[in-house]
Amino acid sequence: MPDGLFIFFAALTLGAALLLVLSRNAVTSAMGMILALVGVAAEFFLLDAYFLGVLQVLVYAGAVMVLFLFIIMLLDTEDAQGAYPWKTAALGLATFFLLAAGVLWLFHWSGAVSAVKAGATPPELSANPAEFVTAAKAFGRLLYTKYLLPLEIAGFLLLVALVGVVSLSKDNPENKA
Amino acid sequence: MPSDLSSLVHWILFLPLGAAVLSALFLRRAGGLAAWLSTGTAFVIAGLSLLLLGKGVDVSWHVELAKFGDVSLGFGYLIDANARLMLFVVSFVAAWIHLFSVGYMKEDSARGRFFAGLSIFMFSILGIVVADNLLMTFIYWELVGFSSYMLIAHYFDKDYAAAASKKAFIVNRVGDLGFILGIAMCLSLYGTLDFVALKDHAAAAKTIPVAVGALLMCGFLGKSAQFPLHVWLTDAMAGPTPVSALIHAATMVAAGVYFMARVSFLLAPDVLNLIAISGAGMAALAGLCALAQTDIKKSLAYSTLAHLGIMGCAIGLGHPELALMHMAMHAFFKATLFLGAGSVIHGCHHEQDMLKMGGLLKKMPLTAATFIAATLSNCAVPFLAGWYSKDAIIEAAYHGHHFVIFAFLSLAALATCLYSGRMIRLVFLGEANSEEASHAHESPWTMTLPLVVLGLVYSVAGGFLASTLMPAGSLQPIKPALDAIVFHLTAPSTIVGLFSLVVGFFGALKFYGTVRGADALQVVSPRTYHLLEHRWMDGLYRWYVDAVQRRLAEFVAFLDLLIINGVAVRWIGGGVPAVLGYLTGRSFHRGQTRAYALWIVVGTLFLAWFLIAR
Amino acid sequence: MENTSLAHHLLLAGLLFVLGLTGVLIRRNLLVVYMCLELMLAAATLALVAFSRFNRTMDGAVLVFFVITVAAAEVAVGLALIVALFRKRGTVQSDALTTLRD
Repeated sequence: MPDGLFIFFAALTLGAALLLVLSRNAVTSAMGMILALVGVAAEFFLLDAYFLGVLQVLVYAGAVMVLFLFIIMLLDTEDAQGAYPWKTAALGLATFFLLAAGVLWLFHWSGAVSAVKAGATPPELSANPAEFVTAAKAFGRLLYTKYLLPLEIAGFLLLVALVGVVSLSKDNPENKA
Repeated sequence: MPSDLSSLVHWILFLPLGAAVLSALFLRRAGGLAAWLSTGTAFVIAGLSLLLLGKGVDVSWHVELAKFGDVSLGFGYLIDANARLMLFVVSFVAAWIHLFSVGYMKEDSARGRFFAGLSIFMFSILGIVVADNLLMTFIYWELVGFSSYMLIAHYFDKDYAAAASKKAFIVNRVGDLGFILGIAMCLSLYGTLDFVALKDHAAAAKTIPVAVGALLMCGFLGKSAQFPLHVWLTDAMAGPTPVSALIHAATMVAAGVYFMARVSFLLAPDVLNLIAISGAGMAALAGLCALAQTDIKKSLAYSTLAHLGIMGCAIGLGHPELALMHMAMHAFFKATLFLGAGSVIHGCHHEQDMLKMGGLLKKMPLTAATFIAATLSNCAVPFLAGWYSKDAIIEAAYHGHHFVIFAFLSLAALATCLYSGRMIRLVFLGEANSEEASHAHESPWTMTLPLVVLGLVYSVAGGFLASTLMPAGSLQPIKPALDAIVFHLTAPSTIVGLFSLVVGFFGALKFYGTVRGADALQVVSPRTYHLLEHRWMDGLYRWYVDAVQRRLAEFVAFLDLLIINGVAVRWIGGGVPAVLGYLTGRSFHRGQTRAYALWIVVGTLFLAWFLIAR
Repeated sequence: MENTSLAHHLLLAGLLFVLGLTGVLIRRNLLVVYMCLELMLAAATLALVAFSRFNRTMDGAVLVFFVITVAAAEVAVGLALIVALFRKRGTVQSDALTTLRD
């Protein structure tokens, strides 16, 4: 039986994700999304990836979701009135259970995750910095040595995205139908 | 203090880039400010280069930018004696040409763009000089090509300028294709692009593959306008005159020579022979062609081609240091000649036809004096700058028993004297042949000062200065070459030089005085004139593009239409969905994003099942 | 963290992924669809971190770092696209956007 904290946060994440998927109100969906991301961040903490957990909360749950909320409120989309789309929801849930059964089978009963790697407890952390270390320092060292080129490309990608967004959101008179 | 000096190089390299960015971004409308910013930068760089030359210390500095497996790509400087000399020549000539441009471009409305272009050119050419590996060299090489393109097309609203810039760019691309293949070959053979490491590999290997040198040579052929890629240089005169002086006479075309000297250890003997023969041939031919040009700048462009041929020949003979020395001397006197031509054109209200000039000696005395001095240097009059290097090369050909090359070079020397005499006679002597020439006036000080400095001081006394007054040890690459020359009356090069000087120069002065308002050669022998004037290589390229390449392209386009467009897209790509859509009642294709997403999921699951079950 | 195996983490990641996928398939509001896509990404990062932790290497974690970076860039561009779409068409309901059919 897994650890209590793991189960708690897993349930929180899944519940929040369910809220995201099923809620009719976009703002409620966004709230569910934030909660789900915080849950994932908590799982990161449980996996000793503190830096990534903090990053997840800051970038995802913080910046990205605020952006989402802004856009949702800016566009003020009207949700379809009328009865709750039970048919679609049922279809979705059916899809979900079908796929979930597949996932369950794959990771629990099929033996695809080898016994060694799937040892009941995670291996102990060692003091060797080349191995899994939680500190941001280790991250920085790797990012600026082994992953220098990807890092620079990622930076360039952000720049391109910036320029792209500026040119996309410019109010072009031709775009008005 | 190596760190100290590498920071000096940082300044030299990045000051012009800063000036260019500043001018391009903020000073597009403030042309005057941009002009002085660019000029000031150029003079600062010239000072720094002189400092570096005086210190005479090698600098090497390197940072790694990326590493792919064993291949490391980096950015760095490798400054040896050659690089110091080149830095000094480039920055010094460029500084005075910048100053000249301030006067010459005073009434131009796009001065900001022009000076930004000059600065970006400075950045790129200095980059080629200091770069310590082939990749960075290639990057700067392309930047030089770009800035040259931009500056030739300065008057882009004129059709001929636009066409000339395009031609220069495309012809250079042809050469650069070979260059980049050569770089790739170096990488696959030696696993490195660093000059120092390459030199070690080349020294360790018994023989160097011919292909490496031949491919690297292609870049040199393009940039230094060597046969058969020389066709762009004469058209490049469509740019403003200071641009012609800086880029297409003094520095950019010399970059190819410098680069060949830098990688000379990679050149197999066969390649060297090829360069020597083609260089000498081009030198003679281009010198003769200069006789059949009436445009003063085009005539000078052919003269540049001839000198580039001589430099290439020196490299081919295995004397890169002589080539560099000739490059340095040529940079001074050819820049002076072009600036003088610019001053003449400016004074004659933008008249470029030599037949319409004449009698300018009295009206523009300073310009005339410097122009004539530079011309004499060009003709290799003993003890003037051009004499030291050119005679040394001719002498080297004779002593190496390359008599064909020697003959070609002698012919080139004669041709040089002929067109020089013709130019002097038509432009400065005799009577004014047009309204513009009779109202000519001397140019302002910003234009005459560079002429005096570059012309009187350097093009005349350059060789003397180099051998005696320059800081000791600062000119190591050319020192042995200078020491080797002794003024023997019996040396073959001296005999050839003096003979061509007397017969060619004075003969031309006399001959071109016989007919007024027209070219004497054209009058005497129209057929010879036409033979020299006609641009045979252009015709050949035109034929090749029209008859060969175009047909091939049309054939490929036809194949594309038939196979790709017809069979693949229309029949298969269009037919399959149409049939499937008919069979399934378009249930696949309802325009709903969710439906598409579902099909993606199904496809992914199928693929996953396939991969797992395998 | 005793008694929590790699399989548990992968199971959680898989379920989250499938939930996000279901959302993509059944929701009509493009913004919610987009959030569901992000949820799928988060699920993938969870699996990566778990693998990284259980193999005691940093590489998976570094990949997560890049995923977060790229996702941030992607969200910015995607939202700009949705806003542009809304300006032009006045709706963000995916069922109303069926011009691709023709």
